[in-house]
Amino acid sequence: MIVDSLAYLGEAISGPSASAADLIDAMDGAGVDRAVVVPAKPRGYHLGPANDLLAEAVNDHPGRVTGLARVDPNLGDEACAELERALGELGLRGLFLHPWEETFRVSAPFVDAVVDVARSHSVPVVIAAGYPWLSEGLQVGDLARRFPEVRFIATNGGQINISGLGQTDVELTLAACPNVAVQTASVYREDFLENVVERFGADRLLFASAFPLLDMSLEILRAHWMHVDDAQRSAVLGGNAADLFAL
Amino acid sequence: MIIDAHMHVDDIPALGWKMEASLCVERLDEAGIDRGVVMTIVDAPEVNPDAIELVARACAAYPDRLWGLARIHPWYGDESAALLERAFELGFKGLKLHPVSTIAHPSGEDTLRLIRQAAAHSAPTLFHCGDEPLTTPLAVAEAGAACPEATIILGHMGGYFHVDEAIEVAERVPNLVLETSAMPYPAKIREAVERLGAERVIYGSDGPVCSPRIEVEKVRLAGLGADAERLVLGGNALRLFEAVR
Repeated sequence: MIVDSLAYLGEAISGPSASAADLIDAMDGAGVDRAVVVPAKPRGYHLGPANDLLAEAVNDHPGRVTGLARVDPNLGDEACAELERALGELGLRGLFLHPWEETFRVSAPFVDAVVDVARSHSVPVVIAAGYPWLSEGLQVGDLARRFPEVRFIATNGGQINISGLGQTDVELTLAACPNVAVQTASVYREDFLENVVERFGADRLLFASAFPLLDMSLEILRAHWMHVDDAQRSAVLGGNAADLFAL
Repeated sequence: MIIDAHMHVDDIPALGWKMEASLCVERLDEAGIDRGVVMTIVDAPEVNPDAIELVARACAAYPDRLWGLARIHPWYGDESAALLERAFELGFKGLKLHPVSTIAHPSGEDTLRLIRQAAAHSAPTLFHCGDEPLTTPLAVAEAGAACPEATIILGHMGGYFHVDEAIEVAERVPNLVLETSAMPYPAKIREAVERLGAERVIYGSDGPVCSPRIEVEKVRLAGLGADAERLVLGGNALRLFEAVR
């Protein structure tokens, strides 16, 4: 089974938007069986209604998409209550944090409250990572160290820099935090991905497209064409996501 | 013919990076690419006084597959100029500048002197052009505007967050060319071709550690049409680099 471990759904306030039908078309074109979806930042700014719409899409496509709740830790107790609602009433399967779009430092102490809700539900936390100042590799690690029982997944290989200047920070986090994995979307240098598999294990890397921000047909090639063995490739393409998100 | 306009050969123990000419050729073969243009990761004369010779040895080992670009640190005045002249004597095809490693702004006089020296050989200057200060499209465009006789290539065409800016500045500064390596958006290659013309976009991979095979596929996914795709994947690079004297 091939699982895209991150795609965005809904009308976005900036950048491309995608409906569930758009996503299913892209998945069929790229040979993807299932996708883990999160709400795009909505035009109305309020993440609660976006979580509702996401849950509807999940219910409409039960075999194809699995949803994560998006909350803004800046909202404190309100964010915790929304996450409780989304994981309970809406049946979503994890927490998604976007420090860049919601503007918070992912390692800030006040973020602990929503991660603690995820911990209490035993669900993973996906972090839009690699954004300067807010979700750099070591900042993700700083948060992950405080919650060793929570599984964290950093998008974009944990760094967004076209010289690879943040990759050592990510490797330090992967070495120090066995509860952190990274995704493949947009990663600079395929040998970074191969090094994650070789040095830390194939279970620390997940295929993701970040559709519709990125092109799913291109992004899946990073996993298909990695210089690794078939078992490792299978884990990256879907096995790891199936385990992490209990698919 | 497919030409990869952006590859690296180097050996940097401090970073654990070893990019050998043989690996470049292996990756070119894997992707069905005819020729690669290689450069070092660090600069001459500092931090590697041997950087020009290192590239020359790689090209000599694979004369039908590799061309060289000289990565020069602009701060060293006449020594920098002499190194660039030496590179052209060795058959190099242009200049590479990476302002993150040199802390030399593209508009600085030391940098402009090297760009003009390359232009006197009808040779292009390839800049690292990404999201970091000193390398953004607007910063590199300052060099392009100051040296209208030079061809300036924006490597990575703006990186992750500056791609729209790269297309915009290339519309304003006609001697800028966009190079596609590692930038992850196929649709932006198509947009660049539509807005600038296919003659001003060239394929590169930043290989061998970025996958030339994936990077070629990225250009194909852009859906340029056969004629434009031929220019982007090799025709433009052939025209640019064969003009060097």
